[in-house]
Amino acid sequence: MLRSLALLATAVAVRFVVRSGRRRRRHARVEHLLTTLEHAEELAGVGFWEMDVRSGALKWSEGLHAIYGTDPASGAPDRVAFFEMVHPDDRRAMRDVFRRLSASETVVDITFRIFRRGELRWLQARAERKVDRRLGTDHFLGVTRDITEEHRKTEEIESHAHELEEEVRRRTAQLDATNRELEAFSYSVSHDLRTPLRSIDGFSQALLEDYGDKFDADGRDYLQRVRAATQRMGRLIDDLLALSRVSRSEMQARPVDLSALAQQALQELREQQPERQVECVVAPGLTATGDPTLLGMVLHNLLGNAWKYTSRHSTARVEFGAREENGQREFFVRDDGAGFDPAHAGKLFAVFQRLHRVDEFEGTGVGLATVARIVHRHGGDVRAEGAVERGATFYFTLPGERAR
Amino acid sequence: MQVVQPTRGPILLVEDNPDDVALTLRAFRKNNIANPIIVARDGAEALEWLFCEGPFADRDASEAPSVILLDLKLPRLSGLEVLERIRADERTKLHRVVILTSSKEEDDLTASYRLQANSYIRKPVDFDEFIHAVGQIGLYWLILNQPPPRV
Repeated sequence: MLRSLALLATAVAVRFVVRSGRRRRRHARVEHLLTTLEHAEELAGVGFWEMDVRSGALKWSEGLHAIYGTDPASGAPDRVAFFEMVHPDDRRAMRDVFRRLSASETVVDITFRIFRRGELRWLQARAERKVDRRLGTDHFLGVTRDITEEHRKTEEIESHAHELEEEVRRRTAQLDATNRELEAFSYSVSHDLRTPLRSIDGFSQALLEDYGDKFDADGRDYLQRVRAATQRMGRLIDDLLALSRVSRSEMQARPVDLSALAQQALQELREQQPERQVECVVAPGLTATGDPTLLGMVLHNLLGNAWKYTSRHSTARVEFGAREENGQREFFVRDDGAGFDPAHAGKLFAVFQRLHRVDEFEGTGVGLATVARIVHRHGGDVRAEGAVERGATFYFTLPGERAR
Repeated sequence: MQVVQPTRGPILLVEDNPDDVALTLRAFRKNNIANPIIVARDGAEALEWLFCEGPFADRDASEAPSVILLDLKLPRLSGLEVLERIRADERTKLHRVVILTSSKEEDDLTASYRLQANSYIRKPVDFDEFIHAVGQIGLYWLILNQPPPRV
């Protein structure tokens, strides 16, 4: 009996020793886990909390105390103290979080503000209700993160974006105003500048008709020159207006039959001067994507030039076609007329720049500038090749036609 | 052969620029247009004449213009405003109105036709062309065109 008691005692003792050894090991593991957790909290800048739903007992981790700036030694704050730290405008949302946690086991997220010892901080929290029926526990668990810095950066970016938007709005308004001014200006050019020209021309003509016999040949010649100059200025104004309209007008992007437009332009030229012997060659089926009116102006100007600068030759050839150059399609208008000195080719596309005298070939020096502006507005390029008395070729690209 | 009688009513020319008035009158003369010509120097005066108001209160109201030549850029009331008033009034809504202006801005063209202008002619700088244009206006509106029956 004694022996058996001693045996039992030994067994209990052994068991106790074994058990306490396990307990110690388990305790050490828990200690280790807690330390790891604290390090992880610190590293991530997060804090944990846990609340026993039945007893209302609340535990805060060290990390959470760090976030709220509270002293871990005094334990988790009570409900009143906690809600006092929350920004008044966010308290209702916070109460709602707890209501939703109580109602179901879903995850609830909230972004809210607190005062950490008087300093406003932005926090982001996620909480969940965990019911363990096997252990019979019922807890609210939560993780909280301080996002003040992120929030500040987001706000900065947003305010930046807002400033940019404001800037765009301001610039657009400025541009609109400039456009309106330009409209008003070109309106006034169109109307007011032409009016006195009409008077000069009209009364010169009246003088010639009513008092022609009082002038000698020189006098009549002078008046003719006044009229010619006036009419030329009228054409200049019209051409400039057309040029400004090229920049102002809304552009369409439609498939355009360039071959048909070229045929049409040549037809009009032939009707104006049926006596001219011009061989016109138009490659069939050339299309591009762009504004039909503007592209019509391009062909009108280029073919009109070809027609004009071949006028001193008894026979001429004018061609519209296309070719591949460096994998890009180039349209061209070619003539065998007066050509130009390639040394001055750079001036060809500038407004009012002419490579021929007016008594050689009539013109205002606006046509090619208009062509260049239209081609550029379509994202293309324009260039010219030529030699004196060896004709000229104008090349242009319309990349829109590739893109589609 | 049918003899076409030109419309006899006066031509109302609404034009503020005295040079243009002189040149237009000259162009009428050159085209042998014999209709009396009434010149209104701004939009308000044109409306007073049309509606027999102000200095024209004693005018014979039954005398309708054969055609109204209307400049767009006028002091006080603009040409478009005048046109709008003409079209809004029972007494004048059927009048033939030809816009005669320097502008060929698309906005002006659109606005004029929207207000039911009967024609839109841009005054050319070249006076020979201007005489030709006025001659065409006279031929068309005073001779070829059949005016609406009198109400």
